[in-house]
Amino acid sequence: MIVGLCLMAGASNVASAADAYLPIVMPITGFLSVEGGSQRNGAVMALEQAPGGMKVDFPVFDTGTSATGAATALDKALSSQKAIAAAVTVFGTEMVAMMPIAAEYKVPLLTISGLAKITESGNPYIFRFLPNDREIKVAHARYIVEVMKKKKIALISDTTAYGQGGFALLQEDFGKLGTTPVFEDNSIAPDTKDMSPLLAKVKASGADVIALHSVATPMTLITKQLKSSGLNIPIVNSSSIVEPTATALFEPAELAGVCAETPSAPEARPTPAIKAWADAYLKRFNLEPDGLALGQYDGVMMALTLMAHGVKTPEDLRAALQKETYQGVAMTYKSNGHGDLSHDADIVCWDGTSRIPKIVGHYAGEQLILK
Amino acid sequence: MTFVQLAVNGVALGAAYALVALGFVFIVNATSAVNFAHGDLVMAGGYVAVGLGSLATLPMILMLPLVAAIMFVVGIAVALVAYFPLIDRPPATVFISTLLCGIVLQNLFLVLFGPQARAAPPLIKSGTVHLGAIEISVQALGTLAVAAALIGLQYLIFARTQIGRRLRATAQDRQMAQAIGIRASAVIACTFGAGTALAGVAGALLANQFFVYPTGGIPLSVYAYMAVVVGGWGSIAGAVLGAMLISIFQVVVSAYVSYAVATGLLYFVLLLVFFFRPQGIFGELVQRRV
Repeated sequence: MIVGLCLMAGASNVASAADAYLPIVMPITGFLSVEGGSQRNGAVMALEQAPGGMKVDFPVFDTGTSATGAATALDKALSSQKAIAAAVTVFGTEMVAMMPIAAEYKVPLLTISGLAKITESGNPYIFRFLPNDREIKVAHARYIVEVMKKKKIALISDTTAYGQGGFALLQEDFGKLGTTPVFEDNSIAPDTKDMSPLLAKVKASGADVIALHSVATPMTLITKQLKSSGLNIPIVNSSSIVEPTATALFEPAELAGVCAETPSAPEARPTPAIKAWADAYLKRFNLEPDGLALGQYDGVMMALTLMAHGVKTPEDLRAALQKETYQGVAMTYKSNGHGDLSHDADIVCWDGTSRIPKIVGHYAGEQLILK
Repeated sequence: MTFVQLAVNGVALGAAYALVALGFVFIVNATSAVNFAHGDLVMAGGYVAVGLGSLATLPMILMLPLVAAIMFVVGIAVALVAYFPLIDRPPATVFISTLLCGIVLQNLFLVLFGPQARAAPPLIKSGTVHLGAIEISVQALGTLAVAAALIGLQYLIFARTQIGRRLRATAQDRQMAQAIGIRASAVIACTFGAGTALAGVAGALLANQFFVYPTGGIPLSVYAYMAVVVGGWGSIAGAVLGAMLISIFQVVVSAYVSYAVATGLLYFVLLLVFFFRPQGIFGELVQRRV
């Protein structure tokens, strides 16, 4: 098997010998490189395990965590050879820049970006394998209001498109659940270091819980400084904190009372299939996996499986992704007609004894829709 | 949390920024050139601290001298690569070469350590202490103490020792210093080393609470530059005061208004300094370098 994998990896560098070309275009450098690294690993793992003995050429293009870098990288990736699809960025801002290019080349993009509007703009080439933020934010809000029974909420986000999009959705969802946050701040720049001014305002507001939607770096700083500030209130984060590289920054005790929404929690190994996948990921990359890696793995593997069953062209793949149901490692994927294939979300919490979280809530289907 | 608490937080962060600015101004004084790799050298110090922390479970306070020594050598290496080959070129050339050096360092960090943030061990231990109604982390208190000790030490060296006099002479006029027998190149190399050692110590102090990651040095270079402009170009006391003022300004305005307003106002104030007091608070008369 090792020999086989090596042969496949070698084949990836020889375009003429490959059966298909599926470039990876992701933020490998820049402030979203942690998330980008996870999704790249997931995509690479799927491509290395392509079913039916397929040999796929999969060069990696770095977007640099910028919209212009993303557009340039995707254009370069798609113009050099005839791609059947591309595995692309988790970063919503970059996705917005990539969408016209996908439409121009008529190539499906396989993404895990949560930004709601990317599948709401009528572009038929966008396929998302993590829940739309519009859905997963419902799980975030419902857990705080219905399970934790909190009403005095401090709602915080960073200034990225991801942060701003999630902030607006959480505002809307809390409203539908009959509560209005007692404190709101969506002005946290990703390079902010000192969070004490923010925490001072949270304390002054009388909030009894923090709902935080942010990329990894400010989120870990807010969570860490909250724990050392003596402000003893729970915090429910978005999924970035579930990444093992983020939890590694904390002592287990510092994570007590910290929760997060996540599309899946492979590091918790909740099912035999996820355990087998997580163990293989750990062996391959010497890293604990996260939900981003698993979502991207399932997305790419769905495309590869369809290709192994006879799909030959980008247009055929687009049609098949829109129509077919696929049982992935994390969940069952089925498009809602707009390119959203993932409709499950977990809530995980840490108990202060380990960096591995426990799943405390699961939301799926209609539970992720608030009227 | 009161205004006093916020000011204490600002001073604690400002102490680390002061070390960054101090190292920055050392190099400015010795070479008349801005070192825009300085923030990345702060990150390098943070990575050294993370590495040492993984090798030995000792408090960081015991490893700081080793961090400083390693970074001293790194500083001399940076001088050999980015400064000495360009010593007779205009200051802008050195500015560009240090900028490029910083980008090389960022990518080196990425390759060696990956994109994820890392945390160094605490200076002494984790936790907070209460001083009346004021709460401050042990790490912040330790940072204040280390910064105060190093700032005092550099003052003694500059004001009271022969080495300090040679450093100041070389900073004022390299050719004249050489004419009177000072080995200016060795002095400049040592200054690069000392400035980088201070940056490394600052990185080790910041890397516990604020983490270290490949691109984390970029804003620190900007803060150091701003601190030196506000405090007075070439003034060591000014660099320390400038760093403190910037930190307190950011913390207090962020708390009472917002982060966005604090950042915008900070840069606007810098613009006003350029217009109305380009020599800064304790600035020298050589304003062209600003």
